[in-house]
Amino acid sequence: MSKKNSSSLAALLLASALLVSGCGGPAAEGEYFGRMEAPEGQVLRYISGSEPESLDPQRSSGQPEARVHMALFDGLVEYHPKTMEPIPSIAESRGEIDEDASEYVFRLRKNARFSNGDPITAHDFVYTMRRGLKPELASRVAYLAYEIKYAQGYNEAGSFVRDPKTGRFVRASEAEAAKEGEAAAAPAAPLDAEESHKSELARGGESAAPDTEFHKFIHEPTRLVVPSDEADRQKAYKANPKLKSLVEGKELVPVRAEDIGVEAVDDYTVRITLERPAPYFEGLLAHQFFRIVPKKAIEQYGNDWVKPGRFIGSGAFMLAEHKPYNQIVVTRNPYYWDAAAVKLDKIVFYPLEEQTTMLNLYKTGEVDAVYNHTVPSSWLKAGVKKMRDYMDAPENTSEFYNINITKAPMNDLRVRRAFNMAIDREGLAAFKVTAKPGVTLVPHIFLKYPRPKGVDFDPEGAKKLLVEAGYKDASGKYDPKKFPAGDVEINYNTNESNRQTAEFVQAQWKQHLGITVSLRNVEWKTYLDMRSKREYKGFARAGWVGDYMDPYTYLGIFTTCEGGDNGTGWCDPKFNKMLQEANSEPDEQKRLDMLAQAEAYFLNQQPVITLMIPATNWMKKPYVKGLYPNPGTLHAWKYVYIEHDRAKWDRQMPDMTTAELAEK
Amino acid sequence: MFRFIIRRLLVTVPMVLIVVSLTWALIRTAPGNFYSGEKKLPAAIEKNIRAKYGLDQPWYKQYARVMTNTLRLDFGNSLRYENETVNDILKRTIPVSATIGLLAYLLALAVGVTFGTLAALKPNSKLDYVSMALAMLGISLPNFVLGPLLVLVFALSLYWLPPARWDGFPSWSLVLPVLTLSAVYMAYIARLTRSGMLEVLRSDYIRTARAKGLTEKDVVVRHALRGGLLPVVSFTGPALAFLVTGTVVVERIFAMPGLGNYFINANLNRDEPLILGIVAFISIAVLIANLLVDIAYGFIDPRIRY
Repeated sequence: MSKKNSSSLAALLLASALLVSGCGGPAAEGEYFGRMEAPEGQVLRYISGSEPESLDPQRSSGQPEARVHMALFDGLVEYHPKTMEPIPSIAESRGEIDEDASEYVFRLRKNARFSNGDPITAHDFVYTMRRGLKPELASRVAYLAYEIKYAQGYNEAGSFVRDPKTGRFVRASEAEAAKEGEAAAAPAAPLDAEESHKSELARGGESAAPDTEFHKFIHEPTRLVVPSDEADRQKAYKANPKLKSLVEGKELVPVRAEDIGVEAVDDYTVRITLERPAPYFEGLLAHQFFRIVPKKAIEQYGNDWVKPGRFIGSGAFMLAEHKPYNQIVVTRNPYYWDAAAVKLDKIVFYPLEEQTTMLNLYKTGEVDAVYNHTVPSSWLKAGVKKMRDYMDAPENTSEFYNINITKAPMNDLRVRRAFNMAIDREGLAAFKVTAKPGVTLVPHIFLKYPRPKGVDFDPEGAKKLLVEAGYKDASGKYDPKKFPAGDVEINYNTNESNRQTAEFVQAQWKQHLGITVSLRNVEWKTYLDMRSKREYKGFARAGWVGDYMDPYTYLGIFTTCEGGDNGTGWCDPKFNKMLQEANSEPDEQKRLDMLAQAEAYFLNQQPVITLMIPATNWMKKPYVKGLYPNPGTLHAWKYVYIEHDRAKWDRQMPDMTTAELAEK
Repeated sequence: MFRFIIRRLLVTVPMVLIVVSLTWALIRTAPGNFYSGEKKLPAAIEKNIRAKYGLDQPWYKQYARVMTNTLRLDFGNSLRYENETVNDILKRTIPVSATIGLLAYLLALAVGVTFGTLAALKPNSKLDYVSMALAMLGISLPNFVLGPLLVLVFALSLYWLPPARWDGFPSWSLVLPVLTLSAVYMAYIARLTRSGMLEVLRSDYIRTARAKGLTEKDVVVRHALRGGLLPVVSFTGPALAFLVTGTVVVERIFAMPGLGNYFINANLNRDEPLILGIVAFISIAVLIANLLVDIAYGFIDPRIRY
């Protein structure tokens, strides 16, 4: 959730470099920042962030890696260059989903090929998923696939439990019932195990993929999975005492790779069965973890398969050169299924970390674009923010304050609302420079999502609410002295930017409510613990980076009452039910409407104070087309090209309120 | 002499082991680990990772492994850059750092010795004041200020030179980092040469040389420099080791893919094998550089015998 690793050295470097470059001033340069000469041909030079941990898409977790992986590997779906919604890629069309979004069928293109010319089939996707989830691979992002049935069990080296006499497997529902009360609170309760499979398709195809042996197995009532490791199992018994009686005396059958809910129905049909309905699952499939890897090269070269010369990829580009911390060169893959549409001949990625250095390269025209969060705020204030090549759009992130609603005075809804109304978010965004005002929890990046209005800045209304809550003098006027200011404070994890935000909010409340709330900063790991146990009074900062492109990644935080990332103590069965109903709605637009209603309900209860949505904050030269400031700063490279005709150069940031793309 | 060298080389082994042990202990006590990141990992995934890298074994087993690795000079794969071994990384980055470091030192030596000598020959002259003032500036101006200043002038304003990036050797992109790096050394060497030469020029054997009727050039170059440069030689050892093993700040400002850059990141990433490998390499480099300096003394200064 906190975004960057920063060393004091890096900060020092930056500070001194700024000091120096401040005199020259980037401002005096006109409408665009620095030199503007399009390079010859179709070559893009892009600064991609830290050196990738690995070019193996399943063994790295970060965005610097994702940017390169998106050139080298293709998935069933790809991120839309603007909205980041899933668009079909190796799959011919969007997935066909069953009625409750717990099973997806993808039909693959017949002409999809690896960079060595081998065809890509359904079996390659199955191999990719089994490999990624293998415990020995120790992938850090394997949890992304945990929605898939038995994926978690396999990745955690778990076992099914079988009665040796009858041969019957113990069902998950038996253990669930054992945990009293808890199952009811969880919104994403597993499918009713007895419920028969609904084969009727809600979207897309006319006919479902045929029934198979595996399909029957995967639709049997969900089996119980327990840790294979003795010590871990003992722990699990402690958490759920009834488990022990279910498992004792029975035999353990390890979950195998073949058991996970991914099936090649035929050479070009993939069927994915999920643990529970998840309409956002298709969006996850564009993540690098799900992009197709070459079995042949991996089995032949082991760890070294990602080296140039041995490398085989599935993406629009293939690896030509890799010099760590210097450059990664990728060139057009002639076998790519959509090769005719690929416009660039070559992309040169420069892995680089120093902000000043990369912007120096950008200014002198040695690179054509940089990644997000790269322009220092002092440069922005000096004029870069107004330049036409500055990319300033909202991100898939939300910053807000949790309110501990279990302690007075914040247990009073009127008080919570009053504090919410006493913050000028426009002012906050202007003060932070690289942020947009956040009136709702869900950032305004989902074009089809009808955002609720939210309650904005209204200091007079805030005072009225506080009067209603009893903070008034004898004559009935608002009296801030009556408010127990000592019982609230703003808690945040130690960080310069968080401190600035907290000071701004503190000043707002002092100015508009006459209440001085004290600030408290806590070290990160301690902070997380404190927040989830609600050992704080008043407010606690949270910054949530969306895991996928769907409003549910934000709303879902507040479905668990205890622990987890919900630090408010607020939880409401009605809200959970609204979300659950929305997630079982097959119609996309209807579902989003229902989620928006749930968010409106949530905001009305005010368990959090929304603050701001961070902005993308990066730059690209006007001659680079098809590269958009999308909410995750992940680019589908095949859409990008260099425009040599000056008349067609971008005069401003591309319009992000429509999904339309630039056409060459 | 031979026995001296052997003895010194033998001492290197326990020294390196001690340095590596201390570093290992420090890494152990530092909070966080290489897989901890923005979001908390599920327990099972953390377990998979710990098992894969042997972090679930008792500490003495892990320590024993580190010690054998050190003796074999093979630290295995990096934890962060999984597809590379520590030795791959060293082999690739040392030439980069060494190129910049050696060039910077040669430049510093040429300019420093020249101006230091000239200043010593005419003490309190204009040339002396100007070059020593410049040297003072060079010492006081840290490279993280000088580097961006040079970039601002030559790259961002004049567009003469690239502002950063390694482009192989030789290339224009080396000019700014080498200049930045050499400034401090140039200044030190100039001052050391000046004071060394001043002392030597006043000594008896120089007076004798002059009395024999040698030309001023012969006196300075053949007799005085040899003694006057002794302080520079002792400075060279650690300086060279430091330069060749990478200079973090300059490599970061100019985005050079050298060892220094990796050293910072390895620490930030808690990449244990990589940190240990780099530390072992640097300590070996320092020990050997010092040994070479001691040997050089024997040749330069007739008073020193081993």
